[in-house]
Formats: sequence, C-alpha cells, structure tokens
Amino acid sequence: MMEISQYLKKTISPAPLAVFRICFGLMLLGSLLRFWAKGWIESLYIKPIYFFNYYGFEWIKPWGEYTYVLFVICILSAFLVAIGLFYRIASISLFLSFTYIELIDKSTYLNHYYFISLLCFLLIFLPAHTYFSIDAYRNKSLRAILIPQWNIDTIKFMMAILYFYAGLAKINSDWLLHAQPLSIWLPARNDMPIIGFLFNFSWVPYLFSWFGCLYDLSIPFLLWNQKTRPWAYLAVIVFHLLTALLFPIGMFPHIMMVAALIFFSVQFHEKILAKLTCLWKLPISKDSSSSVYNPPAYVSKLLGLFFVFQLLFPFRYLAYPGELFWTEEGYRFSWRVMLMEKAGYAQFTVKDTSGQQLVVNNTLHLSTLQEKMMSTQPDMILQYAHYLRDYYAKMGFKSPQVYVDSYVALNGRLGQALINPNTDLAKEQDTFLHKTWILPFHDTIKGF
Amino acid sequence: MECILWPCFVYSIKMKKYLLIVLTSLLWACGSNGTGTTEIPTPIEDGKDRKPILTHLADQVIIPSYADFKVKFDAMQQQSDVFSSQPTQANLTSFRSAWVEAYVAWQKVELFDFGPAEKQTIRNFFNIYPASENGILANISDPNANLEVPASYAQQGFPALDYLINGVGKTDAEILAFYTNPTEGVKRLAYIKRLTTRMNTLLTKVITEWNTTYRDTFISKTGLDISSSTSLMINGFVLHYERFIRSGKFGIPSGAMLNGVPSPEKVEAYYKKDISLLLAKTAHQAYVDFFNGKAVKTGAEGPSIKTYLNALKAQDSASGKNLSDIINAQFEASKVKIDALKPSLYEEVKNNNSAMIAVYNEMQKATRLLKVDMTSAMSITITYTDNDGD
Repeated sequence: MMEISQYLKKTISPAPLAVFRICFGLMLLGSLLRFWAKGWIESLYIKPIYFFNYYGFEWIKPWGEYTYVLFVICILSAFLVAIGLFYRIASISLFLSFTYIELIDKSTYLNHYYFISLLCFLLIFLPAHTYFSIDAYRNKSLRAILIPQWNIDTIKFMMAILYFYAGLAKINSDWLLHAQPLSIWLPARNDMPIIGFLFNFSWVPYLFSWFGCLYDLSIPFLLWNQKTRPWAYLAVIVFHLLTALLFPIGMFPHIMMVAALIFFSVQFHEKILAKLTCLWKLPISKDSSSSVYNPPAYVSKLLGLFFVFQLLFPFRYLAYPGELFWTEEGYRFSWRVMLMEKAGYAQFTVKDTSGQQLVVNNTLHLSTLQEKMMSTQPDMILQYAHYLRDYYAKMGFKSPQVYVDSYVALNGRLGQALINPNTDLAKEQDTFLHKTWILPFHDTIKGF
Repeated sequence: MECILWPCFVYSIKMKKYLLIVLTSLLWACGSNGTGTTEIPTPIEDGKDRKPILTHLADQVIIPSYADFKVKFDAMQQQSDVFSSQPTQANLTSFRSAWVEAYVAWQKVELFDFGPAEKQTIRNFFNIYPASENGILANISDPNANLEVPASYAQQGFPALDYLINGVGKTDAEILAFYTNPTEGVKRLAYIKRLTTRMNTLLTKVITEWNTTYRDTFISKTGLDISSSTSLMINGFVLHYERFIRSGKFGIPSGAMLNGVPSPEKVEAYYKKDISLLLAKTAHQAYVDFFNGKAVKTGAEGPSIKTYLNALKAQDSASGKNLSDIINAQFEASKVKIDALKPSLYEEVKNNNSAMIAVYNEMQKATRLLKVDMTSAMSITITYTDNDGD
C-alpha cells in the first residue's frame, strides 16, 4: 500500500499530456472529416432503414439528416480539445458525441472506435489543458508545471491493455499454427510493388502471424522501458505502416503511431512544444506558475474502477460455452483485432399459421455492410429476425414465425450452418445468456 | 532555422540510422529474388498471380465467346431483316432457328457481367423475362418509346423476340397474319427491326471495348480492391449463378423462392417452350467451363478460378479435399438433376415440379460454396461496400 500511495504522489511535467491532447484532437478531427468526405455519414447513419442497437442501448436513435449536426458537434469538440479551449466541456461533449455515433449501429463496430471512445472518456478526467492550451493561456490559475505522473500513465496503460490483449487473443491455433486468416489475406496483396511477390510464399503469413503476436505482447513493455524505446517506436512505425499498406483499416495505424509518442520522455515533449511555439510564433506567457495540479480525490478511484473493468471485461467470453469465434458471445470490446476471415450467408423465411410464406430479400431492409455483418453474427441475426417479425406482422402476417437458413465459413474452413434452421427466432429473446440456437462449431480452435 | 517541421525529427539522427538499417534489409530481402539464383519460386506459388488468370480468361474465353456470339447474332439479325422485308412461312422458320442459335450462344456470354457488359448493363436489355406483352404492344404503336429505362427491360431482347415470333398467335398462320396485317403489319415489323438494331448497337459497344481498351485494363488491374478485375469478375460471376441461373431459370418458375406457388409462365423462352432446358444447360455448362478456365477454341483448361483456388490451397480442413473439387462436384450434382429434365421447363413446372425444385436445391448448395467459401478463400468481399475494418 505504501508503494501505491508513493506512486500516486509522484509528479511529472504535463508536456506529454499536452502533446497527446493536441495530436489526439487533431487526428480525431482528421478522421471525422475523412469520414464525412467519404460520404459515410449518409451511407452508414442516414440511409439504412434499420439500425442494430447494442443491448441496453436501445434508446440510442439515429438522428436522420441531423446526424450531420451530431458530427459537427463532434468535430468542433475535437478541435476545441486539440487547442485546449473550454477543455472540460469540450472533452465531455467529444466523448458523448463520438460514443453516441458509435452506438447507433452495431454493424459499424470497430475496436479502434471503441479505443477512441475510451481515450475520450479518460481525457475528461485528465488535466490535459493545464499546459500549452488556450484555457491555460487565458486563465493563470489553471496552469500547472507538475501533474501527478499517474495521470499520464493512464493513457499508457490503456494503450498497453489494447496491445497486450490483442497479443493474447492471437495466441490461438488458427493464428499461430495455421497462420489464419493472414494466409488468406496476404496472397490477396501479392500484386503490390516490391514486396508483393513475398505473399506468394506460404511461410510468409506464418512469419507475419508470429511477428504480429510477439509485437502486440511485447510492445507496451518495450515502449515503457527507456532503453528499448527508440527501437520499440521504430517497430511501431514499421508495424503500423505495414498494416496501413496491407489492410483497409483507415486511420487506426496513424492514430496508434501518434498516440505511442506518449511513452517518450518529458524532454522530448518539451522540445516538440518548443518547436510548435517557434514555428507558429505562438505567444507564450512568461509568467510561469509553479503550481502542482491536484486532481479531485474521486478521479483516482473512478479510474481505478475503470481499469479493473477494462482488465476483466475482455475475459467475459469464458462464461460462455462453445467456440468464441463461432458464437461471438463476448467477442466485441475485447481487443480481438483481425483474427477472423468470416463470411456468411443468411436467408430468412417468414411464415404464419394461415400458410403465408416468403423468402426475405435482405437488400430491401439492410445496407450491404449491415447484411454482411449480420450474416455472421448470431446476436445481429436475432435482432434482424425480430425486425422481420414486426415488419411482416404489419404486412398482414398473423404472429409471424421467422427461420433462417445460415451458412458461415470461418478462417478457411468449409462453411457450415450457424443457426438452427428449425428455431423460430421470432420467439427467442436476446439476453446475455448463451444462445442455445447457435449450432455447435465442427472444429476446435485452441488458445485464448 | 531552429524550427523543424515535425517533432519526430527531434530524434532525427538516431532515427535515420534505424531507418537505414530497416530499408537496407528490406531491399536486400526484395533484391534476393531473381538475382543470380534460378531455383526460387515453385510453379505452385506462381498460381497465386492473378495476371495470367485474367489474361487467359480474357483472351481464351471471354473475347472468343463474344466473337462466337456475334456471328450467331449477326446471322439472326440478317434473318430478321429478311423476315421484315418478306414475312413468309419460310422466312419465319429461318428467323426462328437463327434466334434459337443466337439465344443459345448468348448463354455463353451472359455470365461475363462485369467490365463493358456491366457498364452497358447489356443483360438487362438482352434477357429479362417474362416478356411484357402489353409493353411490347404499346411500343409497337409508339415508335419513339423509350427503350433505355428499367421499365422497358421486359419489352426488348431475346424474350421480346420470343413473344414476337412465337407468341403473337396460336399457329404460324396467325403469327404471319399479325405481320401481314395491312394497317399494323409494317409497324410490327419495324419494332422487330428496332429491337435487333438496338441489340446490335449494345453488343457492338461491349465487344469493341473488350477488343480495344478494356482487355488491357482488365489484365492490369490485378489487385483485389473494390475496383479490381478479379473482384468485379467474381462479384459478377457469383451474382450470375445465384440470381440468373439458380433463381431465374429454376427458383422463380418452380416457386421454390416464393410461397411455393409455381409460375410456369416465368420460364425462359416461354413462347418457344421446348428450348428452355437447352438454354439452362448451356448456361450452366458455360459457367462450369469458365470456372475451370476451359478455352473456347481448344477446349483445354488454363489458369482459372480453379487453379487460383488450388494455388491458395483452399481446402476443406476436415477432409483435406480441394475446395475447387468440392465446387466442381456440386456443379456435377446440379448437372445430373438438370439432365433429368425434359426439354420444356414450362411442362416440367406444371407436371414434374419436384424435379425443378430438386435442381434449385442442388444449385442452392453450389451458391453457398461460391458465395461464401470461394470468396472467403479468395479474400474477396461480396456485395462490396467501401468502409474500414479492423
């Protein structure tokens, strides 16, 4: 206990946190503008007829055309966070608006969006505006030259969890022994200049798999350790540039490359800020205070709870029977990244007692992305079945029954039925309990 | 001068050293291919290159198939012109047989629903059935009727010609009377001419593009991204099987898709009736041959979807069987069920519908293999959307 209280008393310059705030805000700003420019607000949040809610978040509704307003709020908040103006309010509104957007539709779930939401949450409670910010420039009493060291370590710790858990998830027989799904994904890039030909060799996916696993498991420690840090950061650059080149994963590699700078020393960050000051001829208040920032007492407790949750939640899959990759019960929010090549096909039949029957054309109800996501994920299949039940009840079916003919291929295995075709999904409830109507997986994947 | 643009450069000297090491080793790794030693890649690994596959399919299958179709089509158009100038029994008979030959040859190109064919949406204008009788009759009275809009799909192409030469009367005499009618005959013949001319224009556009610019574009876009040849080809190829062979020729007429109510009038070549099985067989065989990369002229197999899947070692991990063999076996199972049918699918739907549904069920299994197992093994996303993954 002594050590913990000693640790909590340690202080450090807020420079790394200030740099992180600026970089993170700007990266997020860029991501959101890119999202807008690609027309994805329209195609993902306005056009679809139906949205897949998260369990317990059914009250989150799409805003229709006003989704653009939501994005404007989010973009503005990201900008305010970056420059450190109205920081507390901006960080809260950034967290709320970004998270709201992510909660609208499960089919857009990405681990790195979840990661961004969590970082936004942390930033609400961190004194990232006490240094090199407009707030601090305008309000002397905000300024601090020292903040608790654990304030910065929370960000590092969150990144460490992401990497380490992503590494743990790779310790499984598909990834390490069969180099799946990289054995499928890498040959797809064999026409790349210079390195493309490498992907024609069947040992290359093994090399990438093992390297990726070791990278994820070790990189947090290597970044944390001052001696290994420059090498580790080089590895971060190489690894993420490579993933950016090889896979369609958007801004994530760039965000990670920038976020990993947080591990560098105070001097490093001071130099960056000095360059920025010099480059943009920023006015600097000479009246430097010597105050130490003391966070409210509840913050350490709250964030302590937050991290306990973060450490435990990814292991909830252990509470479910069956193969995790197959049932996906406890799969999301667990840093399971790029582990599966999963494709599926789900054809629904709606019937009623009066003998009416039809095969549903999914494209009438779902976007292509939604159909693709739904067809491999049992909880979404059930949600969609309930939507169909209600839809066809309105269309004149008397207490419609909904059955699905599903077929899913996972990591190079031949496809098999995912859902029991004799289960009337209209009658099944969505709960956190195991879904007994998921058919067993005809293989074993060993490991985490 | 103190201001350096990007903070990373604070570590610039150290960084440079590391970058140099990495780049050197990368270059060394890349350079070691092909220099000096001759015993590098094995032929199996080469099978993963998509350029030879695209080249073979373009040069030995797609372009020659279009050329063959064009010959049959030209012959039909010629017979159609002869019939238009002289609507006699003999000319009707030759027009009909030329129409049958062209319709059969069409089945061997309809599956190339990517590139120029997709751009012109030629399929929509050549083979949407059942034909719309009322639409056709309305167009005959209005020579300026728009034939470019979706509503006009069922008023043109082979199904419309089917109606015009096989369906406008119960007997040949009645059909001929339809065209020799003193007031309306000329307009009716003019519509036939309008249809064949329009088909020729579209077909010429598609063939010209393949023969000039598109062939090179096709074989050069070797990626697997949203606009790559392989992705477009596989998307079109899978869609064709599911929607136009499985559903169009069997699923919809047999009622297997909707309510179980058979609709015999929805078979292909409904008015001619006795060639619907031939058309389906031809389409199915062309499909299988394309999968196996069978050259049109020589009949020899070359680089294809099959060889690509084999090179990727796409297998059923439980049995160790090649996915391509499993797919071919399923094609064969479908073929066995098709071969059991009688020439008129209209009659089969009415009298022997369980055999039609049996074909549909076999094809459903093939659809899953193509749409899920094959595309997954190839890392091609079906029903493409542009979005990030992680």
